[in-house]
Amino acid sequence: MAQLIKVRPTKIELVKLKRRLRLSQRVQKIVKDRLSILTMEFLQAARETVTARRRAMTAMTDVYKAVTVASGYHGYVALQKELVACEADISVTAGPRSVAGIRLPSLELNEPAGGLRGYNLTQTSALVDAASDTAREALRAIIELAELQRGLELLGTEINRTKRITNALEYIVIPSLEVTIRFLSMKFEERDREEKARLKRVKVLLARKEG
Amino acid sequence: MRLVNSSLPRQRRSLSDLLEASQPSIGCSDGSHQLFKRAELKLLSDILDEDERSALFLPILIEMSGDETEAIVLCPSDVEQKVVSYVVGMNLDCDKPGRLRLYRPQLALLRKRLKTTTQYVFSARSGD
Repeated sequence: MAQLIKVRPTKIELVKLKRRLRLSQRVQKIVKDRLSILTMEFLQAARETVTARRRAMTAMTDVYKAVTVASGYHGYVALQKELVACEADISVTAGPRSVAGIRLPSLELNEPAGGLRGYNLTQTSALVDAASDTAREALRAIIELAELQRGLELLGTEINRTKRITNALEYIVIPSLEVTIRFLSMKFEERDREEKARLKRVKVLLARKEG
Repeated sequence: MRLVNSSLPRQRRSLSDLLEASQPSIGCSDGSHQLFKRAELKLLSDILDEDERSALFLPILIEMSGDETEAIVLCPSDVEQKVVSYVVGMNLDCDKPGRLRLYRPQLALLRKRLKTTTQYVFSARSGD
């Protein structure tokens, strides 16, 4: 049940309340719009996360298989020697991207220039190349998954917050304003009617006095 | 309104500018930066020719004006219209100059392909 707001019963207050109601309705419209956008983005992110997770899992399985086959062919020590020599830091460009007022992470793997692999191509087989390619693919999938998963969490939190705001506006703020405006309008109408009745009474008394 | 539009771009940059930048990004009105993904910039540069690349200013703005079923893409030039039509996969025409109407499924498709190069703007004017 909507609660009556405690205000002085004056016409100025009524005007102010009407202005507040109009503003609340406009805000409600925008917030609802934002909520529907956030929900759309959330559902899309959820679908993409499922796909990205599946892709990451498949990529990791492929990497383990490829590395196992390559180490079986070259020998574990020889392969490790080659891999240690080409060890490099991963470079990821990270920054925010904005979706309807919230900041989501945006990650992108920086590919090495020229596509150099780093290990000796003459002393290794195509199996190592395949392992390297699948490892890079797995890395890309993991970074994509990280971005999507964090984005999903942030979107979920923001949807909850926006829903609370929409509900507060829809079930508390706007009904209270409407009830108060109705109450004040009825009070003023009642006052007008009393005033008219009083005037009529005075008129009758004056007429009686003159008569 | 200021809160939901807090991360609008302070100024828009052309695609050709962004392609040359080492870290393609723009400054937002709240002081933060928005990063553009290289993959998206590459997709846009593949669609457009040299002149169009300098005519396309990013991010492309999508106006939400209270109608939950549709959105308006602001198209100051024809290049935006060409990009959106390509991404959505159908020919779209502006029903009012500079304003391209998109329905929800089309909007979802656009946002799926161009996550960082498009941005929402919330406005209080009634959807016309």
